[in-house]
Amino acid sequence: MQNVSERVEPRSAEDASLALREAGNAGMSVSLDRPGGEVVLSTARLNRVLEHEATDLTCVVEPGIRLSELDAVLARHEQRLVLDPPGDPTVGECIAQAMSGPRRHRFGAVRDLILGVTVVLADGTIASSGGKVVKNVAGYDLAKLFCGAQGTLGLVVRAAFRLHPRPETTSTFAVELVRPRDARPLLTGLSTLNLPLGALDLLWPGRLIGLVEGSARVAQAQLDAAAQALGARHVDNDIWERSSERQLQAAGVMAFAPSDLGEVLQSEPMALIRPSLGVAYVERPIDSPQSPGLIHLEERIREQFDPGRVLVG
Amino acid sequence: MKRGERELCEAAVAALGREAVISELEQLRTYECDGLTGTRVVPALVILANSTQHVQEAVRLCNTYDVPFVARGAGTGLSGGALPVADGIVISLQRMNRILEIDLESERVVVEPGVTNLAVTQAVAGHGYYYAPDPSSQQVCTIGGNVAENSGGAHCLKYGFTVNHVTALDVVMPDGSLVQLGGKSLHTSGPDLLGTFIGSEGTLGIATQVTLRILRKPDSVCTLLAGFDSVDGAGEAVSDVIAAGVLASAMEIMDRLTLEAAEAAVSAGYPAVEALLLVELDGTSDQVEEETERVLEIFKRLGASEVRVAKSDAERALFWRGRKAAFAALGRVSPNYYVQDGVVPRSKLPAVLRRIGELSEEHGLPVGNVFHAGDGNLHPLVLYDASIPGDLAKAERLAEEILVACVEAGGALTGEHGIGTDKACSMPLMFSKDDLAVMARLRRAFDPDGRANPGKLFPTPRLCGEVPGPYREHPLEKAGRAERF
Ligand SMILES: Cc1cc2nc3c(=O)[nH]c(=O)nc-3n(C[C@H](O)[C@H](O)[C@H](O)COP(=O)(O)OP(=O)(O)OC[C@H]3O[C@@H](n4cnc5c(N)ncnc54)[C@H](O)[C@@H]3O)c2cc1C
Repeated sequence: MQNVSERVEPRSAEDASLALREAGNAGMSVSLDRPGGEVVLSTARLNRVLEHEATDLTCVVEPGIRLSELDAVLARHEQRLVLDPPGDPTVGECIAQAMSGPRRHRFGAVRDLILGVTVVLADGTIASSGGKVVKNVAGYDLAKLFCGAQGTLGLVVRAAFRLHPRPETTSTFAVELVRPRDARPLLTGLSTLNLPLGALDLLWPGRLIGLVEGSARVAQAQLDAAAQALGARHVDNDIWERSSERQLQAAGVMAFAPSDLGEVLQSEPMALIRPSLGVAYVERPIDSPQSPGLIHLEERIREQFDPGRVLVG
Repeated sequence: MKRGERELCEAAVAALGREAVISELEQLRTYECDGLTGTRVVPALVILANSTQHVQEAVRLCNTYDVPFVARGAGTGLSGGALPVADGIVISLQRMNRILEIDLESERVVVEPGVTNLAVTQAVAGHGYYYAPDPSSQQVCTIGGNVAENSGGAHCLKYGFTVNHVTALDVVMPDGSLVQLGGKSLHTSGPDLLGTFIGSEGTLGIATQVTLRILRKPDSVCTLLAGFDSVDGAGEAVSDVIAAGVLASAMEIMDRLTLEAAEAAVSAGYPAVEALLLVELDGTSDQVEEETERVLEIFKRLGASEVRVAKSDAERALFWRGRKAAFAALGRVSPNYYVQDGVVPRSKLPAVLRRIGELSEEHGLPVGNVFHAGDGNLHPLVLYDASIPGDLAKAERLAEEILVACVEAGGALTGEHGIGTDKACSMPLMFSKDDLAVMARLRRAFDPDGRANPGKLFPTPRLCGEVPGPYREHPLEKAGRAERF
């Protein structure tokens, strides 16, 4: 029989700290923003935008806010946080699971956009690292450590991000691609054009789609260049929803050296591929074993951050 | 040589060969400091590693003989990061300077850590590619040093820092084991240890192989200069460029003092103005054309004087020459100078610059300002004369007070030069005891014995006296109106 878990919804770092200490003292396990622990710590009420410094192109937010909600706030100043994973997750989920979407091609992932964090560790310690300025090399960058940590090292209660201006227009081109051997020449041709694309996805088999962002004039020039050199067609932006769906529904994620794209196309009957990143979202589970050295290192970090193993991954 | 040191030396020679070991005092002196030349320590031994295995052997020796090690690239660091430890080993990576692989289809280059930053660009330039992070020291500094410091350059405003361009690292851990982080793919699982290692200043291990992302050279580049009658005016132009949605690849400001010194040194043809703004735009030709128009409009609206657009590569190089020579140029007008490296939110630039002016008056020492305006990274140069008793101490105090002003404005202790030994005692200005304690936990996970580059980054009683400077809560924070990071 499943035990009923207790749900706690802190409103501040101090609340979260107290809840974690109490759980630890009571010998209860805690899961962060997901089921699994005897106590579930939820960031539902930690969902404010604390600062949006438009002139600095930065913001400071709490982890419970959804990307769409944050976007609405940033849009008032024609800015955006360029994180576009599928499914409108919260900022906290983006960090814990190192989420990204098609625009990682140009703008990077959460780890590239995050400037600083405040975290609460399992023993209640509240600590900050990084800052809210775009350039900063003071001290260890714990924000990066928490990207992808799956909530095993502590709860992020505050995060600062670098923002970008919203583009004036967004459009999409598509090029037919069905034979594995056509992929390399196509990508080389595209690379030679040197277009600053916002995203580049391969909906395999079928087509390569490119996202063009900028002023109307500049965007049109890029579409024209792609049309002329590669026979690209201008298509509706809706096609990116297809990419999102495929990413969301993928059974596995495959990492590959971008030059090995050909082999990936041979082996995968269907996939969403980000060729420049070397990432394929595929229809089968992928087992990517970690080296013993890396497993050992991650273990030692957990040992330092949560020696009592209060947090369940 | 002490007895333990002799044994260590013999063991090193036995393990690595005589040509890899330096133990003569005269030669050891070459390694006694980095770019922060005021602090010097002679190490027990220097090992010139030429492979990952060599580095592992050296680190194992340190474990056997219970001595610390300090990794060293080109020694251009400006915060004393590569300062040796007296009884320890310096592991020099400069002989590991091979480019191992150029994978153009992947747009990745695999290098040993001793390869210089510029050599990476040179190796791929013929194919139309370049390596984006461009510290001013790029002809000399090593990729390993860049990784340790998370170095940036004038163009990191648009393209980011080292951490955004490294996709994999081989790391020799402080116990001598080897761990691989990342790969040619950007997909990894688990905590971002690659990103955590980058910028850790040699305190978590030694990088012995680095995979870098390379970018296509932009088709079009435009460099502009504009004069303003105040630094505030130039700062306003920077804010307006950003507000217009233009992502410039570089925006640099020089004040009058710096400008005159630079002009005297390299004759870049700069106009005589209170502040000079240099803006660089890159991308497709249409994009650059359009952005140039927008920037010129802003210059016009703000009443900039002497607006110039570089018409050739030669002219662009000339525009940059003065900027790049600025530090050295101030060195010619003053017997000594100290380069501070602080960061403020861009919007706080005018206020902090005014504060720097006041501090300069108060202490009676000139301060030249040259900075990466786009990302709020200030490099105030405090000019002093070491031959005047008390001048150095005054300069140090002034530099420290500038840092306080940066942190109080919501900024950071360093934007690119790192903490090292130089700023270890200032860490409490920005971080609370708990913040530092959590960073120390991370260090223990990598290096439980504190063997990798001890005495750097963290304030210790030995380094800073019993009471490290107090962490100051910002008034806004006290009032619960703003949060610190
Ligand atoms: C004139 C001048 C201009 C400069 N301009 C800039 C600039 O524009 N931007 C900028 O960011 N910096 C700048 N710097 C600072 C400096 O060049 C950089 O910090 C550079 O990355 C240091 O590289 P290095 O090879 O000289 O490293 P070193 O000085 O030898 O070492 C720096 C630190 O890295 C560690 N380290 C070295 N190699 C490794 C390795 N393989 N693994 C682990 N740790 C290692 C050392 O222990 C030390 O802590 C400048 C310096 C000078 C002198």
